[in-house]
Amino acid sequence: MAPSFFRTANLASRVFDRQFLSPRPGTAVNTVRQLYENLVPSYTIYDIDCPDYSFRKFTDDGKYLVAFSRNHQDLIVYRPIWPTFSCNDACDSNDLPPKAKKFDSFFKQLYSISLASSNEYICKDFFLYMECHQFGLFATSTAQSNDSTATEGAIHGVPSIEKITFYLVRLEDGVILDEKAFRNDFINLAHSIGAYLYEDLLCIVSLRYQTIHVLQIRDSGNLVEVRKIGAFCQEDDELFLHSHGQAARGVSFLPGIKQRLLSYIFRKTWNEESDQSLRVQHLKKKFYFHFQDYVDLIIWKGAYNMIVEQVQFLDRHHLFIKFGSVDGGVSRSTEQNLAFFAVYNMETTDIVSLYQNSSEELYSLFEYFYDHFHANPQNSSHGNFISSHSNNFHALDQLRAIKNKASSSSQFVKKMMASLPYTCQSQSPSPYFDLSLFRYDEKLISAIDRHRHCTEHPIKFISVNQPNVVKFKIKPAPAAHMACIVSTDGVLVGLTLEIILYTSKEMIKNIPASFRSNLPMHRMNSRY
Amino acid sequence: MGSSLGGWPSYNPQNFSQVVPADPSAQPLNVIPATYIATHRTDPPPGQVITTDPKNILLRHFYQKSEEKLRPKRAAPDNLTPQNNGKQPRGPVADGGGQASGRS
Repeated sequence: MAPSFFRTANLASRVFDRQFLSPRPGTAVNTVRQLYENLVPSYTIYDIDCPDYSFRKFTDDGKYLVAFSRNHQDLIVYRPIWPTFSCNDACDSNDLPPKAKKFDSFFKQLYSISLASSNEYICKDFFLYMECHQFGLFATSTAQSNDSTATEGAIHGVPSIEKITFYLVRLEDGVILDEKAFRNDFINLAHSIGAYLYEDLLCIVSLRYQTIHVLQIRDSGNLVEVRKIGAFCQEDDELFLHSHGQAARGVSFLPGIKQRLLSYIFRKTWNEESDQSLRVQHLKKKFYFHFQDYVDLIIWKGAYNMIVEQVQFLDRHHLFIKFGSVDGGVSRSTEQNLAFFAVYNMETTDIVSLYQNSSEELYSLFEYFYDHFHANPQNSSHGNFISSHSNNFHALDQLRAIKNKASSSSQFVKKMMASLPYTCQSQSPSPYFDLSLFRYDEKLISAIDRHRHCTEHPIKFISVNQPNVVKFKIKPAPAAHMACIVSTDGVLVGLTLEIILYTSKEMIKNIPASFRSNLPMHRMNSRY
Repeated sequence: MGSSLGGWPSYNPQNFSQVVPADPSAQPLNVIPATYIATHRTDPPPGQVITTDPKNILLRHFYQKSEEKLRPKRAAPDNLTPQNNGKQPRGPVADGGGQASGRS
């Protein structure tokens, strides 16, 4: 496609250009996304009668709209369907057919299934989508009990939930393919923090038992546990220890993951002293003498006494683990206290590197390679094109501006590190959030799936290509109106020549916007 | 040469053999470009297979940085006499002792 300052604003012209101009190699998706400059929401329909459900999210491929019943026990899934109509000459709002004002014209209910039984509730904040098989992962839990009776292996200070169940549902037809329950445990389900999906691997962090469960989602829909990291790092560690009667002798071994942490610190301390003869002495002084301290108290600025708070995959073999405090793990407090990040190789069970949350070195990796914290090769839709400071100059400028204004460099770094590990599927891949196409007020709306205060003022989306041109506005409805945002799929395009072109899914891939459910309904219509 | 294309440029040793320098007083240039002849074998090692590193760039950086840190620091050399190539060896590494930085 032509450089940005040559991009024409005329959609028909761009479609014709596309017939004979092929995009530069590897930029097919970027080129498609640019067409969304011409296809913008242009109309809002208010006062639609919607079913009384809590609408959660569109899947990133635009195929499903997930909703939960008000009593948090049922899952309702809709298929977005897009009504089409045509009109002569200029269309305006009075020409909308009656069907455009009906919820059913836009969404078709596929099924409603009961996920949670009597004393359980679906966690509204938890939803992960596996696009290749169209599987959805949901979670239900019983009420949280604050009296955490000490159970073997459980750490203090973490509440206990009687039962947390994960359900793998085939969204196409609502069949529950598999489920996995955790009893008397605590997993942070808010915003799907306690789990991370990478290709077909799912890791779930049990805060209470300080264990990372790695499961594989098979093509059949079975959830198979492939690894459990915490007490033991290798599958046969447990067997080995039992067979050697260690457990029987009452010798307690340190949890596997902390063994790894200690050996990492050991190696680092060992290498600090270059003189071979002095090494052992150095080690004795620094490491062995304080060994018990290391186990019980805070060493190396507290690395050892911390708990596994959150985990993500960096690739199929590496985990990025945040070691934090109990408070941080349970309540996600925004205070930037001390925290550590470790890169853990699951195959070799080695800790590759360990960083404090104020580390400048880790920050520089965050600044340059942020996209690799959330890259997922299985993203077939536009998940790999989410704007960030690592792929967009405007975002990088904004980050640098904050950095320059920050009074304390280490506080700034800690604040940025609070966004690691990346929260799985927390950002919308919609082209309307693409900073190379549109500018918008990120305090009012952004790609990050987060609750925001509803504002009175319309949220403006300004074109980057044509500066100062407001391409579209989203007017948040007052609370009384029940409505939701719809996404583009099969967009209707009208030409002034009275020829209606129907752009099918194949021409422009659908990228839905996952806005909150209290925003008005828009019908996508663009005329040139 | 009687080509139907009418004498367009072609690889012909006779081309430019009659070139007369525009400036007759200019010295004829007899610069022979220097050629480089390797004094060692430049063939790749036998059985070499080049593959793509499956680690993404972020992971490569993590590994690289951790290798730098875990590699033993250069020990102080025993003899401080200049080497053959005239370079001075580095001075002994300052005693790390208890000052090991906790920051990565």
